[in-house]
Amino acid sequence: MAQEYTEYLAINVLNEQQLVSYRSLSRALKVHSNLAKQMLYEFHRKQNAKRPGSVHATYLITGTRRPESPSQTNGAHSQEDGGDTVMQSSPPLPGSSAPQHEEDAEEPVSVRSVLLVKEEHLEQAKATFESITGIHIYSLQANGLSDVQSLTECNRKITASYASEDPLQAWKQYGTIQNPNVKRRTQRRGPPPPAPVAKAAEPKTKPLAPTTKPTVLERQASKESKASQESKPASKPTSKPSSAKATPEPAKKPATVKRQDSDIFKSFAKGRAKPKKQDSQSSAEATTPAAAEPEDEPMGGFSDEDDDAEDGAADIDEVPQEPEGKSKKEREADLQAMMDQEDEIMEDAAEAIPDKTAAEEDEGAIDRPVSRQAEEPAKETVTVENGRRRGRRRVMKKKTVKDEDGYLVTKEEAAWESFSEDEPAPKKLKTAPATSTNKPTAAGKKGAAKAGQGNIMSFFSKK
Amino acid sequence: MANEATTLRNIVAAFTDFLTVAIHTILYERAIYPQTSFLSARKYNFAVRQNRHPKVCGWINDAVSAVETELLKGTVERVAIVIFTKDNQPVERFMLDVSRFPTATIADLDTPLERKSAEGDKVPILPKVDMEEQFRATLSRLANCGSTLRPPPEGCTFTVAIELKSVGQAPVAHPQPWMPVEATEQDGADDKVQKRTVPVRAVSAGEMMLECWIEESAVAD
Repeated sequence: MAQEYTEYLAINVLNEQQLVSYRSLSRALKVHSNLAKQMLYEFHRKQNAKRPGSVHATYLITGTRRPESPSQTNGAHSQEDGGDTVMQSSPPLPGSSAPQHEEDAEEPVSVRSVLLVKEEHLEQAKATFESITGIHIYSLQANGLSDVQSLTECNRKITASYASEDPLQAWKQYGTIQNPNVKRRTQRRGPPPPAPVAKAAEPKTKPLAPTTKPTVLERQASKESKASQESKPASKPTSKPSSAKATPEPAKKPATVKRQDSDIFKSFAKGRAKPKKQDSQSSAEATTPAAAEPEDEPMGGFSDEDDDAEDGAADIDEVPQEPEGKSKKEREADLQAMMDQEDEIMEDAAEAIPDKTAAEEDEGAIDRPVSRQAEEPAKETVTVENGRRRGRRRVMKKKTVKDEDGYLVTKEEAAWESFSEDEPAPKKLKTAPATSTNKPTAAGKKGAAKAGQGNIMSFFSKK
Repeated sequence: MANEATTLRNIVAAFTDFLTVAIHTILYERAIYPQTSFLSARKYNFAVRQNRHPKVCGWINDAVSAVETELLKGTVERVAIVIFTKDNQPVERFMLDVSRFPTATIADLDTPLERKSAEGDKVPILPKVDMEEQFRATLSRLANCGSTLRPPPEGCTFTVAIELKSVGQAPVAHPQPWMPVEATEQDGADDKVQKRTVPVRAVSAGEMMLECWIEESAVAD
């Protein structure tokens, strides 16, 4: 263990002259971030004992800055004396900004700052702090760091190389800050995962960003894979399993079911074109398959639930719990039944979707990966301006091609389109009750009317 | 990019983009202009520095388009960004070897290029992601070179030079963007001028093959 990090650092810092931050070290060696910081410190100390100046460090200081004279502080940005500081974090305490320059009396303003300093400016930077709550090495490099912003490259590399790791499990290993209220969108309603203890690492917003990003991707995954039973081949590079099973252990590694084509299903259901909304009403889907109805209904049901739920529960606050009466097994059985039902339809309409058997095998698994590539836009974007909703979204477009036998085959394909429609649409969606026992059809029609231009539902709208 | 055919023009355009960013980066690193006159920009998904002064940007753009003209003719062997002291003594040169670029006649400048591997399948001419990654790495190395090299003396200036291949004609027509300079004897007379070469990176992405290194002379001290 001790050898590993010395070797790794020697190779990367000294030989390849790369920048190694504590975060890249922790990801590469799969250790906790705090341990990585200590490793950096040890290496730095040893190398400089052997050959002074061979390894340079950049430090991160967190603490309370000494109050500066009123003329300098103007609320948001106060320049650093050293001139080499890059980051200013938390804004000064309220009450200090506006009246500062007016009053003659100096108000003691304590500014909690997070500062990146090169080692040559370390002492100077420390002097500006009233009290230091934390100080550690941020990165090591072979020669001095000329441009602090090149440190951003470390983080980019991390997100690029380690995108496949599930942050909800990896956070414990790496020590990223975890928001206890964050939970992965699940298809089935179940007890929420127990709140993990937030780590007392230094305040970094970056770890939060990766955790929210996968949740977004998760929602999108669950949305697509709601009720479709086809499984796309596992050819996607970043597979983020989403745990639909809300088990007590958040660290359970979910199996993967690829349900790519719920989009296709949706258009099937009611010609709706709003596939990629988040799915918070997974329980709703589970219950509706129980109803014995034509293919359309359950699909419509899901879509509707999603729509209502998505807008209503967009804040992730109150998602009504699935009545616990329906056991997990029953739900799975229902899903399974639905899966078998839906297969036939998909065969004709969908594009090449090889293994349906995988879908059956995954009965226990309610988890599906994010089968989108990282490059694809993760969400439909909707912006509201001037009373019109604009944005991009996925729609199912029909393509008719001639088969080799001369038959015309109509295929559905998902495509992105920009849309622009009038403002009232979202309000209508939001007012729809976000409970699990909606009347699928009526709500579905209403929902479809908002989203679609040029889908079947437009026929039913505007009544 | 995979769909449209890559022509020599595209390759040269990609290189000139890179050259522009590299020049800005070098100016920042060597503090030719005050570092406060640079703003942070992003290229190839990497944080780079770009000068804000319009005249500086204009000069660089002109120089780079002159290089582009020569590159399209296929006469350039190396592109150099030279740092001079106030007395016109070169302190260091940032070399980019472009002799491996494909050459084509004027008629073929817009002809799509194609290369087949030994098995006969098509090899991508300009793999965008790969190329960007390598450019990013080169810029990252260039950005850190400021720490490995000796700090340049005060009041340095810079220029862009090209070394031509032995074939082809020198661009001395009128109007003359380039000033002809006699080849110096530096390569032979090692005893007088000590040179130190620092390799930076080689980029090899499809047809985009170039090498980058830094030559330092001992005159600085």
